[in-house]
Amino acid sequence: MSESSIITNLIGILTTASTLFMVAAGLTLVFGALRLINIAHGSFYMYGAYLATTLAARLGGAGFWVSLVICPLVVAAMGVLVEVLVLRRLYRREHLTQLLATFALLLIFADIALRLWGKSVRSIKAPSALNGHFQFGGAAVPVYDLFVIGVAALVAIGLWALMSRSKLGWRVRAVVDDPEVLAASGTNVPLILTGVFALGAMLAGLSGVVIAPEQAVQPGMDAEIIVAAFIVAVIGGLGSIVGAAIGSLIIGVVETLGAVWTPSWASTFIYALMILVLAIRPWGLFGETER
Amino acid sequence: MSSGKSPVPTASSQEEARVPTGAGAAARSSSLARSVATPVALTVLMVALGFAVGGNTLTTLEEVLALVVFATATNLLLGQAGLVSFGQAVFYGIGAYTVGLGWLHWHLSFWLTFFLAPVVSALVAIPVGLVALRARRLYFALSTLAFSELAYQLAESRYDFTQGANGVFGPFVPSVLTDPIKGYLFLLAVTVVSLLLMWKVTRSPFGLVTRAIRENRGRAQALGVNVYRHQLIVFVVSGFFCGLAGAMFVVYSQSAYPELLDWTSSGTPIFMAVIGGMGTFLGPALGAFIYQFGHDELVRYVSDWQLVLGGVLLLIVMFWPDGVLGSLTKVKWSQWRNSLNKGGSDE
Repeated sequence: MSESSIITNLIGILTTASTLFMVAAGLTLVFGALRLINIAHGSFYMYGAYLATTLAARLGGAGFWVSLVICPLVVAAMGVLVEVLVLRRLYRREHLTQLLATFALLLIFADIALRLWGKSVRSIKAPSALNGHFQFGGAAVPVYDLFVIGVAALVAIGLWALMSRSKLGWRVRAVVDDPEVLAASGTNVPLILTGVFALGAMLAGLSGVVIAPEQAVQPGMDAEIIVAAFIVAVIGGLGSIVGAAIGSLIIGVVETLGAVWTPSWASTFIYALMILVLAIRPWGLFGETER
Repeated sequence: MSSGKSPVPTASSQEEARVPTGAGAAARSSSLARSVATPVALTVLMVALGFAVGGNTLTTLEEVLALVVFATATNLLLGQAGLVSFGQAVFYGIGAYTVGLGWLHWHLSFWLTFFLAPVVSALVAIPVGLVALRARRLYFALSTLAFSELAYQLAESRYDFTQGANGVFGPFVPSVLTDPIKGYLFLLAVTVVSLLLMWKVTRSPFGLVTRAIRENRGRAQALGVNVYRHQLIVFVVSGFFCGLAGAMFVVYSQSAYPELLDWTSSGTPIFMAVIGGMGTFLGPALGAFIYQFGHDELVRYVSDWQLVLGGVLLLIVMFWPDGVLGSLTKVKWSQWRNSLNKGGSDE
């Protein structure tokens, strides 16, 4: 491999991993606090992307930057509604109920999106500041890829700071261990749960906006990303943000190099890898054994 | 829709029939007569239904029969063992592909591949179960989902063997079965035998242990039950019948394609079980009727089938978790339990 193709592949790996990380981190964050797998998590990602296409079409040039702020917040509000109206009533029920409820939400959101935005493929233009390439080691590196990687890095640092350096993160971790004592010591536990779920939805929405200039925004992207996010979360271990980061990188490597070396087997490798990890460590690389 | 709802009264009368009325040989022979009565009555009803309707409805009924077996087999895991598998479409798809690919590559006769299909699916279910059952609950659901996606990707990317996204189409179903009413009667016979066999499994001591594991895994383990092996056997039995359902699918569709293996296809039998009531044996079968006829009726008028399905599903899991048949029989079931406690068991 030449130097330039190494750089190209490296950027490809990091870009893929960044998008996946933002979605998977939200999924795993929600699992960590609420102990449920949200199958509709991919819908938040899709709505982030669709909302961005609508806003960008209305606002023109500055549309992307406005979308980057507004759309994740709108999606977070959707998350609040889902948590308050549906999930909150199901926390005490078995995991099948929660899986089915979020599966039902995936179907509902998919059809509403179809009503609102139709079947056609949509896209938005990247803002001019992020267009173009710059030369590095003989390779042409897209500026937008660096932007995606940068956003994911900020998300990673932000989540780390929130979870391990703030009072709020301390409370979120306490929710898992002992909600009763936490509630008795004056914390509003339901509010924390709603907040965590909204934050997870917001991250998915943010990821959706960020990929909108690079990928086709179309029906089916919700189910596609959720499977990828499941794989990341399961390889890394559900509930672990570090695991989500490592899992995203692993998938990025396998997907990018697989596409270079054996294109027809690339998609198969990822699932085989997930099954291998589950066979050896059924709770993922960084997860805890299920209680 | 009316045909979809018709098994309800007969199914609930089955619970009535199980109320023991007396003791001794007379009661035993009458309970035998009664336990035969429900399947016979349902079969007669379905045969009559087949002759009463025609054309498109008959094709829909064929479709429903395959789904009845698929949903009931999936419910062996869901309702019986308490295992949420998003991978049953793997075995359904393999069943269909066994028939299609057997014809395509080796010119095997339909009858051979039809009965080979469940065996192939069961054989695949062994390694899948060995891996997936190491994980528990959510991890089990996710790893079966991964197997579903793996199978889907393999079917789509191994073009030389599977014809990729195009799927396998061809005149591999014998002409006697492409005749609607004969095809329907054949599928009905297969369905009846399958359901009786699965009923036997759930009523056996083995089925009882499986339910005990579902209720309290730790306690079953403490009593010396090999949980892993029991769950593996249920998984393989379920895979067997899912494969058979896949072969039944081929009879009316005359095709096999990658989408059959997808994880969202694995959701379909789960929905049916939940709609009909996964706590009952015939609930998933009733769910298959409601689901398929509901789908066919609705898509005529509205384009938002998923919205309706999702809405119904959400309402059921939130407010009506026993499903249609489960809610109908719940009262009678508890009456039966009480009378059992007073008068001794009839099984």
